[in-house]
Amino acid sequence: MKFLRKLVQTVTLSVAMLLSLGAQADLLEDIQQRGTLKVAVPQDFPPFGSVGPDMQLLGYDVDMAKYLAESMGVKLELVPVTSANRIPYLQTRKVDLVISSMGKNPEREKAIDFTDAYAPFFLGVFGSADEQVSNAPELSGKTVGVTRGAVEDIELSKIVPADATLKRYEDNNATLSAYLSGQVSLIATGNLVVAEIADRYPDRAPGAKFMLKNSPCYVGLMKGEQALMDEVNRLIAKAKADGTLNQLSETWFNAPLPDLDA
Amino acid sequence: MMQFSDWDILRNLLLAARWTLLLSLIAFTGGGLVGLCLTLARSLRNPLISGFIKAYVELFQGTPLLMQLFLAFFGLSLIGIDVDPWTAAGLSLTLFSSAFLHEIWRGCIDALPKGQWEACRTLGLSYLQTMRYVILPQALRIAIAPTVGFSVQIVKGTALASIIGFVELTKAGTMLNNATFQPFKVFAMVAALYFIICYPLSLFAKHLENKTHVTR
Repeated sequence: MKFLRKLVQTVTLSVAMLLSLGAQADLLEDIQQRGTLKVAVPQDFPPFGSVGPDMQLLGYDVDMAKYLAESMGVKLELVPVTSANRIPYLQTRKVDLVISSMGKNPEREKAIDFTDAYAPFFLGVFGSADEQVSNAPELSGKTVGVTRGAVEDIELSKIVPADATLKRYEDNNATLSAYLSGQVSLIATGNLVVAEIADRYPDRAPGAKFMLKNSPCYVGLMKGEQALMDEVNRLIAKAKADGTLNQLSETWFNAPLPDLDA
Repeated sequence: MMQFSDWDILRNLLLAARWTLLLSLIAFTGGGLVGLCLTLARSLRNPLISGFIKAYVELFQGTPLLMQLFLAFFGLSLIGIDVDPWTAAGLSLTLFSSAFLHEIWRGCIDALPKGQWEACRTLGLSYLQTMRYVILPQALRIAIAPTVGFSVQIVKGTALASIIGFVELTKAGTMLNNATFQPFKVFAMVAALYFIICYPLSLFAKHLENKTHVTR
């Protein structure tokens, strides 16, 4: 039963490894000593991370990684990942941070730690500049285009006043066309969709009126790396204060940075 | 929006096709060598060795290549052995294809009538002589078609290596599609490139079959 013995050895070894993880030297020091920050970024999810004509990675997450490495005074090593393997990369210490448009949820929080939010990802009501709306009650008497059955439809239906009209379209494209052709001047959708419109029709881009559901993106890191967590949080706070994040948001989402903690 | 010319797309796909080719080559040579050793070891008909090989084949044929890659790359790291992507891909592709190639070749040897072995023994040929002059030349001919068939499978199977960070043909295709939003163009090019890699293999097989037929 060679196999069984091997199995037992393997299991004991991995348990021992897991126990020793807590006692390891802190990752922030390691990063500074080796002089490189290894960051997992998306490679096929624009505008967070995709490739340019020369297959170079670019996007919001990539620029965020660059900013962090620069501020820490170390070189940056980008590791392209998918949503299937980004957490394994982190857990096996093949990367130091995951900056990969990752939202927070209780299951993930059991496996890894999250810093403060660094990128906006939200559903909201958007509209042309002449529409003066800043909350749900003000929609009274107005018409809002929304994609039938989408999360934004469900969220909006809960809070919309009785005398507002919801025009439901069959898919995202229909909702967008309705807005672009002027059939509705307000739509409920995600900020990424709006970023895409802004990209294609800069002068018709709808602006954010109010938020329906906020699930911003967080930087993921290995559990128990308090020093690194503090450092990244400090840099995120600094980037929020000095307008770096706003600049990134303008570049990649064609919209100013909303309040991430709302 | 970034502007991609058709040449940009094709150029990047061609660059990525290098990794597909290289991974296929590793899988085929590694798998071929290990598979050959297994086949020879099994033809000794030692129950212990055969039992071990049988278990080996069952293990690697019965689990998905994707999981093998995942375990080789992340699993080994988790227990403290740091492997780079090349080692992990080479290891799991070799293990996977050796199991299949062994099974193919064993079948080809078993397909020969038992009388061939018995005749060799009566002639006083040693094991190596039997293999070299009687069994292998005949088994080789039957083996060509399924071996090439499987090697074409390997070429396409290397797409799975993208899970451990390889940007090979398929992965490059997905990345480019997500940047250009022209799925038809991008994936048609990907498919064409796979065909360009695989078709010569099939031609080569036909050529070999004709050749071995003549010498018989």
